[in-house]
Amino acid sequence: MSKLNETDIQGFVLRGYNLPYGRYILLRFENPDRARALVSKLLPIITTGQRWDNGKPQSTVNIGFTHRGLAALALPDATLLSFPVEFQQGMKKRADILGDTGLNAPARWDDVWHGNDVHAWLGINGLTATALDDCCSQLRSLFAETRGAVELAAQDAVSNMVDGQQTGKEHFGYTDGFGNPDYLGIERNSQPGHGKQLPDGSWAPLATGELLLGYADEAGELPAAPIPHILASNGTFMVYRKLHQNLATFRSFLDEQSAVYGGGREKLAAKLIGRWRDGTPLELAPDAPDPSIVKDPQRSTNFTYGADGAGTRCPIGAHMRRAHPRDAFGFNGKLIDRRRITRRGQTYGRFVPEGELASDAEERGVVFMVLNANISRQFEFVQQQWIEYGNDAKQGNDKDPLMGNHGGHGKFVVQGDRSATNPPLVCAHLPSFVELRGGDYFFIPSMTALGMIAMKLVDPR
Amino acid sequence: MSNINGKVYAMNAITPMKPWKTWVLRLIFFVLGHVKSLQQDLINLSFIEFARWVVVPRAGFPQFGNGQEPEKLTYDYLLFFSNFNGTWNQYIDAFSAVLSKGLNLIWQWSEKFPGSVPVTLFKEYIGRVQFDTDYYFTAYPHATANDLKAAHAVQASYDDLRSRVNSLSDAEFADAYMSFVLQVQPNLGETGEAPVVF
Ligand code: HEM
Repeated sequence: MSKLNETDIQGFVLRGYNLPYGRYILLRFENPDRARALVSKLLPIITTGQRWDNGKPQSTVNIGFTHRGLAALALPDATLLSFPVEFQQGMKKRADILGDTGLNAPARWDDVWHGNDVHAWLGINGLTATALDDCCSQLRSLFAETRGAVELAAQDAVSNMVDGQQTGKEHFGYTDGFGNPDYLGIERNSQPGHGKQLPDGSWAPLATGELLLGYADEAGELPAAPIPHILASNGTFMVYRKLHQNLATFRSFLDEQSAVYGGGREKLAAKLIGRWRDGTPLELAPDAPDPSIVKDPQRSTNFTYGADGAGTRCPIGAHMRRAHPRDAFGFNGKLIDRRRITRRGQTYGRFVPEGELASDAEERGVVFMVLNANISRQFEFVQQQWIEYGNDAKQGNDKDPLMGNHGGHGKFVVQGDRSATNPPLVCAHLPSFVELRGGDYFFIPSMTALGMIAMKLVDPR
Repeated sequence: MSNINGKVYAMNAITPMKPWKTWVLRLIFFVLGHVKSLQQDLINLSFIEFARWVVVPRAGFPQFGNGQEPEKLTYDYLLFFSNFNGTWNQYIDAFSAVLSKGLNLIWQWSEKFPGSVPVTLFKEYIGRVQFDTDYYFTAYPHATANDLKAAHAVQASYDDLRSRVNSLSDAEFADAYMSFVLQVQPNLGETGEAPVVF
């Protein structure tokens, strides 16, 4: 397959920028004409997928719309009704499907999500805090000048720093950001373990249509997309979820359980995710972290679960093994190739190193963003069937130990062996380590589509 | 009236076949039925509790007498009946992704069968030929096939341990108990409510 037209695709879709400062601004449109005028003004500022030959820019801007936002931009009804139903409904209405109940129920979300006012999302990233602020002031003057949108809320995010250095660590202390799918045509160094597995055991990029609308997907079909097709092509859908992390609960859980677990605290932490906190995959190094693997892209995501059916290296219910089961369900991974998601997360809140006091009440977590061509087949399926349920992994109703909506009733089995340092362990009455604070489903249009929206050129046929 | 009972979904599909093709299908069934390895993929899909295809010949429909006129049917019919765990979409996606050749072998003799790939046309076809379940008994609506297999494994290990427990010294018991835990540890998932259908 030939290269994609990178200048037509929003940059955020093609790559994680890995810029340390982020701000996610949520907008409400007041009037379709003025909103379109704002979109016109934003067009030249939006960061595309064009390669950065001269190094990273100071800041980046990307945009997405909820279904209500597209309606507020007065897209034709025939177009609005052609979007997939889950996007039309929005994330809040999908709460029961997603298991967003109890502690995660919409009633407990941040205020901004309580109405149905969120029309657009602007994702801004900066190399420095100043660059981020400068970019945001520029945007805010455009809101004022066009009177196209009201800023409802701004969610700041910042990569966790250790000794002033940006790290890939999230708040629980795990190094994140190893596993993300490769797609055909996207210029990026392909890495074993990123795409899909072939019968001979090698790895190949996934079909482009698993990420982008307008291209064949893994079933050889075009993903369901709105009409006209030019509005959809080179666009995708984004799931935005603000995931609060109960850091104090997490740490005291590790303290309590490791007191009775022969493997010790760090191994228990590793068993929950499937990687040691430095990122070493348990499948490759079950006894101790190995920094040489973490540094080596040929190895850091290059593993499978097939030979560990009993879960004695990486537990069957560990987060990573659930969220991307690789060959765990047999058939060379063919059952999971259409359930892959691209993650673009960023941490928010103050990073508290181990040993310092942390409280659950502090604002802290991950702005978890997922890109996929089909929200219902990809994100919703993973969330419902693999995070909040366990049948495919043969773990019954057991949920993801860390991400599950447990509310005090969770269970996690660490499969082990006869050795003193890898014994079996059953953790019961799990609390919720992660809670949902809001979010929605967004359409991330191509540059062409943004232009069409701005110029009122969207004709359903 | 629903196709869903707890964690289980019952699918009935009936498709017409020209009678001469029925003979070809019968031959295929004969081969599939005698070569177990050909059934392996179907068996390995662990969320399928049961799946069966049966030919209903046009002369094979019941006649109740009492003035019921014999029907003149021009087609034979293929009944597909399956019980599975998980969503309808997941089931058909999996069929299409990993069993497409086998399904085509069985269903291509039915009228208007579009092939099991691409999956959207296949789903449309199944949607059209599917008929709903009138009565559905499930002994364990809160359990999947995997849950039941896991429960059997745990029970067998437990029974084995119990049968030996009185004859074991403390040290031997510790060892036997460890073996028991290692045997059952992959099989300890909870049973419970099914996720919301979508
Ligand atoms: C606070 C919330 C979360 C945290 C802290 C977290 C943390 C992690 C970590 C540390 C890894 C391993 C690093 C890597 O392989 O890249 C990982 C992998 C992953 N997570 Fe999460 N996660 C969170 C929520 C979720 C949710 C809700 C989903 C899905 C709906 C998800 C899907 C994935 C996937 C797909 C992978 C990649 C696995 C692979 O390719 O092997 N995560 N996560």
